[in-house]
Amino acid sequence: MTPPAPPPDAYASHRHRDLEQIAIASLACARMLMESGSRAMTVHECCRLIATGLGVEIMGIRVGYASITVTLKSGGNTITRMVTVRRHGMDHRLNQAIRHLVVAISHSGTPPNEILAQLDALVATSPRYPLGIVVAAVGLACTAFGGLLGVDRLAFLPILLAGGTGQFVRHTLLAFGVNPYVAIITTAFTAAFLCGGLAHLAGSETVNLAAIASTLLLVPGITATNAQADILDGLPTMGSARAVSMLMIMVFITTGIFAAQGVLGLLP
Amino acid sequence: MNPTLVHIAQQAAFGGIAAAGFGVLFNFGRTALLWCAASGAMALAARTTILNAGWNLESASLVASAAVTACTVGLLRRQLGTSAPAVAVAGCIPMIPGAFFAKALLEMFDLTRAHPVNPEALLVASTISSLHVVLTVFAIGAGVALPVQLLRGREF
Repeated sequence: MTPPAPPPDAYASHRHRDLEQIAIASLACARMLMESGSRAMTVHECCRLIATGLGVEIMGIRVGYASITVTLKSGGNTITRMVTVRRHGMDHRLNQAIRHLVVAISHSGTPPNEILAQLDALVATSPRYPLGIVVAAVGLACTAFGGLLGVDRLAFLPILLAGGTGQFVRHTLLAFGVNPYVAIITTAFTAAFLCGGLAHLAGSETVNLAAIASTLLLVPGITATNAQADILDGLPTMGSARAVSMLMIMVFITTGIFAAQGVLGLLP
Repeated sequence: MNPTLVHIAQQAAFGGIAAAGFGVLFNFGRTALLWCAASGAMALAARTTILNAGWNLESASLVASAAVTACTVGLLRRQLGTSAPAVAVAGCIPMIPGAFFAKALLEMFDLTRAHPVNPEALLVASTISSLHVVLTVFAIGAGVALPVQLLRGREF
């Protein structure tokens, strides 16, 4: 949907304090989009839609891995504001709801304080699957990964249990505010240790592969594809930051697996 | 029954389950979850068929991810709207070569031990595994990104 063009005199009618409110509201939406898995160009578009919908001009936007900055202009007034991006994740339904909100704002010119209230309500009420369902789904996904890697049938149940347990551990650690990389290495160790031990007890011939399969819930697939999308969109700095983050995640996963295999005595 | 078809069906089933599992993790809606499973199954079926034809992992991953993304973004836009690229990504995630990356790093860990056994062979093996990972991830990323760039609509 294309937003309507602002009226001709719209850019001359905002005071500095109004510009600040618009900047804060657009950055709040942009941050939530970023944290729920959008690529950088979508975040650019979000700020543009909100700004034009509220009748101000965008002078510049900078979308970084850890912060987003926007400069707005109205008549002779300009303002630059920045917001910190916290943990990057993926929440598709919240992401879609925020996009619909942004499109609605671009058509209706909703006041900034109301935008913030609606955004808070969206974040609070966005539907999420119960933890038990997520744990079971991740366990099944890891088991399917195991099938793709070629594990034997005796390893399927250990992967299911360990993958689900890994997701539970990750969810709990992140809920307690633990550093995401610490959560990743802890999850990888727990899942690989549990899976390796159970698969060994079950008599599986593919214990090492099973241990790896149980940690594949941590694979940063969205980060990997967003990194390339950002580079293709002409934002190589953001793409590189995502790629480095992806590399670090993979290193931490492998270290967790390595430690678990060492403890279990599975290393050569 | 033809064992090749059985193998393809098995890989497709695993791909569909893995993609749907990731869909739940990524909090997709229920309808989108079905499309995630379908795209994952299609991705793995396409990749397995191409691998059976003698192509290498990187080329097969590129073609499979491009085919899935083109179908999802091109044909399902009306049903999925702006969710279409995300559904394609969820479908392609089961093709990410996580095992190769783990293998590469484990070989590197072995290589940096005090007295590695046959370091030349370890170096070659870890380099080959790393190249597989880098090229396959790039292939999947390119396979997803190019159709999205070419076919995306103007909607936000």
